[in-house]
Amino acid sequence: MLIRRLKENSIELTDIEPIEAELLRKVPSVCDPGGDSRAEARLFSSPADSSERQFLSDWDEYVRPELRHLFLSARQTVEEDLRKLSDRPGRPGRLIVPCAHGDAWLNTLNQARLILASKFDFTDEELSVHEPPQSFSRRDLVLLQINFYAAIQERIIDAMNGEDEE
Amino acid sequence: MAETVVEPKVEVALETPWNVVVHNDPVNLMSYVTMVFQKVFGYSKQKAQQHMLEVHYKGRSIVWTGARERAEFYLQQLHGYLLLATLEKAE
Repeated sequence: MLIRRLKENSIELTDIEPIEAELLRKVPSVCDPGGDSRAEARLFSSPADSSERQFLSDWDEYVRPELRHLFLSARQTVEEDLRKLSDRPGRPGRLIVPCAHGDAWLNTLNQARLILASKFDFTDEELSVHEPPQSFSRRDLVLLQINFYAAIQERIIDAMNGEDEE
Repeated sequence: MAETVVEPKVEVALETPWNVVVHNDPVNLMSYVTMVFQKVFGYSKQKAQQHMLEVHYKGRSIVWTGARERAEFYLQQLHGYLLLATLEKAE
Protein backbone atom coordinates (compact mmCIF):
# COMPACT_ATOMS: atom_id res chain seq x y z
CA MET A 1 0.00 0.00 0.00
CA LEU A 2 1.20 3.48 -0.86
CA ILE A 3 0.04 6.61 0.93
CA ARG A 4 0.70 10.06 -0.47
CA ARG A 5 -0.65 13.57 -0.41
CA LEU A 6 -2.42 14.80 -3.53
CA LYS A 7 -2.51 18.43 -4.54
CA GLU A 8 -6.27 18.69 -4.16
CA ASN A 9 -6.05 18.55 -0.35
CA SER A 10 -6.51 14.85 -0.10
CA ILE A 11 -4.56 11.78 0.84
CA GLU A 12 -4.46 8.86 -1.55
CA LEU A 13 -4.09 5.25 -0.44
CA THR A 14 -3.28 3.06 -3.43
CA ASP A 15 -2.22 -0.50 -4.14
CA ILE A 16 -4.25 -1.69 -1.17
CA GLU A 17 -3.92 -5.46 -0.97
CA PRO A 18 -7.02 -7.47 0.06
CA ILE A 19 -5.60 -8.25 3.50
CA GLU A 20 -4.82 -4.54 4.01
CA ALA A 21 -8.33 -3.60 2.91
CA GLU A 22 -9.74 -6.07 5.40
CA LEU A 23 -7.64 -4.65 8.23
CA LEU A 24 -8.64 -1.13 7.28
CA ARG A 25 -12.32 -2.04 7.29
CA LYS A 26 -11.90 -3.50 10.76
CA VAL A 27 -10.67 -0.21 12.24
CA PRO A 28 -14.07 1.22 13.29
CA SER A 29 -15.22 -2.01 14.90
CA VAL A 30 -11.91 -2.49 16.73
CA CYS A 31 -12.54 0.91 18.30
CA ASP A 32 -15.47 -0.42 20.27
CA PRO A 33 -14.09 -1.25 23.73
CA GLY A 34 -16.94 -3.76 24.08
CA GLY A 35 -17.18 -3.29 27.82
CA ASP A 36 -13.50 -4.11 28.39
CA SER A 37 -12.57 -2.13 31.49
CA ARG A 38 -8.85 -1.89 30.57
CA ALA A 39 -9.69 -0.41 27.16
CA GLU A 40 -12.20 2.00 28.72
CA ALA A 41 -9.66 3.06 31.32
CA ARG A 42 -7.08 3.79 28.62
CA LEU A 43 -9.48 5.74 26.40
CA PHE A 44 -10.69 7.77 29.35
CA SER A 45 -7.60 8.08 31.51
CA SER A 46 -7.68 10.04 34.75
CA PRO A 47 -6.77 13.73 34.36
CA ALA A 48 -5.53 14.20 37.95
CA ASP A 49 -4.75 12.34 41.16
CA SER A 50 -7.45 11.45 43.67
CA SER A 51 -6.88 14.61 45.74
CA GLU A 52 -8.70 16.56 43.02
CA ARG A 53 -12.04 15.03 43.93
CA GLN A 54 -14.32 17.80 42.68
CA PHE A 55 -12.37 18.23 39.47
CA LEU A 56 -12.51 14.49 38.76
CA SER A 57 -16.23 14.45 39.42
CA ASP A 58 -16.81 17.41 37.07
CA TRP A 59 -14.58 15.79 34.46
CA ASP A 60 -16.62 12.59 34.54
CA GLU A 61 -19.86 14.52 34.31
CA TYR A 62 -19.00 17.07 31.61
CA VAL A 63 -15.76 16.25 29.79
CA ARG A 64 -15.99 12.48 29.48
CA PRO A 65 -19.25 12.54 27.47
CA GLU A 66 -17.68 15.12 25.15
CA LEU A 67 -14.63 12.91 24.65
CA ARG A 68 -16.86 9.91 23.99
CA HIS A 69 -18.72 11.94 21.38
CA LEU A 70 -15.44 13.11 19.80
CA PHE A 71 -14.10 9.56 19.52
CA LEU A 72 -17.36 8.26 18.09
CA SER A 73 -17.56 11.09 15.59
CA ALA A 74 -14.00 10.38 14.39
CA ARG A 75 -14.89 6.71 13.95
CA GLN A 76 -17.97 7.58 11.95
CA THR A 77 -15.91 9.80 9.63
CA VAL A 78 -13.48 6.93 9.00
CA GLU A 79 -16.35 4.50 8.49
CA GLU A 80 -17.88 6.81 5.87
CA ASP A 81 -14.54 7.17 4.06
CA LEU A 82 -14.01 3.41 4.10
CA ARG A 83 -17.31 2.86 2.27
CA LYS A 84 -15.59 4.45 -0.73
CA LEU A 85 -12.71 1.98 -0.67
CA SER A 86 -12.70 0.40 -4.09
CA ASP A 87 -11.24 -3.06 -4.20
CA ARG A 88 -12.54 -5.28 -6.93
CA PRO A 89 -11.44 -8.91 -6.70
CA GLY A 90 -7.99 -9.39 -8.18
CA ARG A 91 -7.23 -5.69 -8.20
CA PRO A 92 -5.49 -3.61 -5.55
CA GLY A 93 -7.75 -1.12 -3.83
CA ARG A 94 -7.71 2.65 -3.76
CA LEU A 95 -9.06 5.15 -1.26
CA ILE A 96 -9.11 8.93 -1.22
CA VAL A 97 -9.26 10.61 2.18
CA PRO A 98 -9.83 14.38 2.34
CA CYS A 99 -7.10 16.11 4.36
CA ALA A 100 -9.89 17.57 6.50
CA HIS A 101 -10.51 14.00 7.71
CA GLY A 102 -6.86 13.45 8.58
CA ASP A 103 -7.33 14.17 12.29
CA ALA A 104 -10.29 11.79 12.45
CA TRP A 105 -8.16 9.06 10.86
CA LEU A 106 -5.25 9.61 13.22
CA ASN A 107 -7.59 9.65 16.20
CA THR A 108 -9.42 6.51 15.12
CA LEU A 109 -6.25 4.58 14.34
CA ASN A 110 -4.97 5.62 17.75
CA GLN A 111 -8.15 4.42 19.41
CA ALA A 112 -7.81 1.09 17.63
CA ARG A 113 -4.18 0.65 18.65
CA LEU A 114 -4.76 1.69 22.26
CA ILE A 115 -7.75 -0.60 22.63
CA LEU A 116 -5.96 -3.61 21.11
CA ALA A 117 -2.86 -2.96 23.25
CA SER A 118 -5.01 -2.69 26.40
CA LYS A 119 -7.17 -5.72 25.67
CA PHE A 120 -4.17 -7.92 24.96
CA ASP A 121 -2.10 -6.37 27.70
CA PHE A 122 1.02 -5.83 25.59
CA THR A 123 4.15 -4.76 27.41
CA ASP A 124 6.28 -1.77 26.40
CA GLU A 125 8.92 -4.22 25.19
CA GLU A 126 6.50 -6.14 22.98
CA LEU A 127 5.18 -2.93 21.47
CA SER A 128 8.67 -1.76 20.56
CA VAL A 129 9.48 -4.94 18.65
CA HIS A 130 9.05 -4.62 14.91
CA GLU A 131 10.34 -7.99 13.82
CA PRO A 132 8.34 -10.80 12.25
CA PRO A 133 6.75 -12.93 14.96
CA GLN A 134 8.19 -16.35 15.84
CA SER A 135 4.75 -17.92 15.82
CA PHE A 136 1.36 -16.88 14.53
CA SER A 137 -0.72 -16.93 17.66
CA ARG A 138 -3.70 -14.60 17.90
CA ARG A 139 -1.59 -12.36 20.11
CA ASP A 140 1.19 -12.16 17.50
CA LEU A 141 -1.30 -11.30 14.79
CA VAL A 142 -2.84 -8.56 16.92
CA LEU A 143 0.63 -7.08 17.40
CA LEU A 144 1.07 -7.07 13.61
CA GLN A 145 -2.32 -5.36 13.32
CA ILE A 146 -1.23 -2.68 15.84
CA ASN A 147 2.00 -2.11 13.91
CA PHE A 148 0.13 -1.99 10.59
CA TYR A 149 -2.13 0.76 11.94
CA ALA A 150 0.95 2.55 13.33
CA ALA A 151 2.57 2.53 9.89
CA ILE A 152 -0.56 4.05 8.36
CA GLN A 153 -0.61 6.72 11.07
CA GLU A 154 3.02 7.60 10.31
CA ARG A 155 2.32 7.94 6.60
CA ILE A 156 -0.81 10.03 7.17
CA ILE A 157 1.19 12.37 9.44
CA ASP A 158 3.84 12.68 6.70
CA ALA A 159 1.15 13.32 4.11
CA MET A 160 -0.55 15.94 6.30
CA ASN A 161 2.79 17.65 6.82
CA GLY A 162 3.03 17.94 3.07
CA GLU A 163 5.78 15.41 2.59
CA ASP A 164 5.63 13.25 -0.53
CA GLU A 165 3.27 15.68 -2.21
CA GLU A 166 2.28 14.69 -5.73
CA MET B 1 -2.31 64.27 68.62
CA ALA B 2 -0.76 62.79 65.66
CA GLU B 3 -3.10 60.80 63.61
CA THR B 4 -2.07 57.29 62.90
CA VAL B 5 -2.53 56.45 59.33
CA VAL B 6 -3.12 52.83 58.77
CA GLU B 7 -2.28 51.88 55.31
CA PRO B 8 -4.67 49.39 53.83
CA LYS B 9 -3.12 45.99 53.53
CA VAL B 10 -2.93 45.12 49.94
CA GLU B 11 -3.07 41.46 49.37
CA VAL B 12 -1.87 40.30 46.06
CA ALA B 13 -3.66 37.14 45.36
CA LEU B 14 -1.24 35.37 43.14
CA GLU B 15 -2.94 32.57 41.33
CA THR B 16 -1.31 29.22 41.92
CA PRO B 17 0.20 28.02 38.69
CA TRP B 18 -0.72 24.58 37.42
CA ASN B 19 1.29 22.18 35.34
CA VAL B 20 -0.03 20.19 32.44
CA VAL B 21 1.97 16.98 32.45
CA VAL B 22 2.14 14.43 29.64
CA HIS B 23 3.15 10.88 30.57
CA ASN B 24 4.88 8.25 28.49
CA ASP B 25 2.76 5.75 26.66
CA PRO B 26 4.24 2.95 24.54
CA VAL B 27 1.40 3.08 22.01
CA ASN B 28 1.35 6.73 20.96
CA LEU B 29 3.83 7.36 18.17
CA MET B 30 6.61 9.92 18.62
CA SER B 31 5.59 11.72 15.45
CA TYR B 32 1.96 11.79 16.61
CA VAL B 33 2.86 13.22 20.04
CA THR B 34 5.01 15.90 18.38
CA MET B 35 2.16 16.80 16.03
CA VAL B 36 -0.28 17.04 18.95
CA PHE B 37 1.99 19.43 20.89
CA GLN B 38 2.27 21.62 17.83
CA LYS B 39 -1.49 21.68 17.33
CA VAL B 40 -2.57 22.13 20.94
CA PHE B 41 0.07 24.60 22.15
CA GLY B 42 1.20 26.09 18.85
CA TYR B 43 4.77 25.02 19.63
CA SER B 44 7.45 24.99 16.95
CA LYS B 45 8.41 21.55 15.70
CA GLN B 46 11.68 21.81 17.62
CA LYS B 47 10.03 22.67 20.94
CA ALA B 48 7.36 20.02 20.42
CA GLN B 49 10.05 17.42 19.73
CA GLN B 50 11.96 18.42 22.87
CA HIS B 51 8.87 17.79 25.00
CA MET B 52 8.13 14.55 23.14
CA LEU B 53 11.67 13.29 23.79
CA GLU B 54 11.39 14.27 27.45
CA VAL B 55 8.19 12.24 27.69
CA HIS B 56 9.84 9.33 25.90
CA TYR B 57 13.08 9.22 27.89
CA LYS B 58 12.08 10.61 31.28
CA GLY B 59 8.55 9.27 31.41
CA ARG B 60 6.89 12.69 31.68
CA SER B 61 7.16 16.28 30.59
CA ILE B 62 5.60 19.47 31.92
CA VAL B 63 4.28 20.77 28.64
CA TRP B 64 2.62 23.93 29.95
CA THR B 65 2.35 25.90 33.19
CA GLY B 66 -0.13 28.63 34.00
CA ALA B 67 -3.63 29.49 35.14
CA ARG B 68 -5.90 26.65 36.16
CA GLU B 69 -8.68 27.34 33.69
CA ARG B 70 -6.33 27.36 30.72
CA ALA B 71 -4.58 24.27 32.02
CA GLU B 72 -7.92 22.43 32.16
CA PHE B 73 -8.64 23.51 28.60
CA TYR B 74 -5.30 22.13 27.37
CA LEU B 75 -5.82 18.96 29.37
CA GLN B 76 -9.13 18.34 27.65
CA GLN B 77 -7.51 18.87 24.24
CA LEU B 78 -4.72 16.40 25.03
CA HIS B 79 -7.22 13.77 26.20
CA GLY B 80 -9.10 14.34 22.96
CA TYR B 81 -5.91 13.23 21.18
CA LEU B 82 -5.71 10.26 23.57
CA LEU B 83 -2.49 11.32 25.28
CA LEU B 84 -1.95 10.44 28.93
CA ALA B 85 -2.07 13.88 30.50
CA THR B 86 -2.65 15.12 34.03
CA LEU B 87 -3.00 18.36 35.93
CA GLU B 88 -0.83 19.09 38.95
CA LYS B 89 -0.01 22.06 41.13
CA ALA B 90 3.28 23.69 40.15
CA GLU B 91 5.86 23.68 42.93
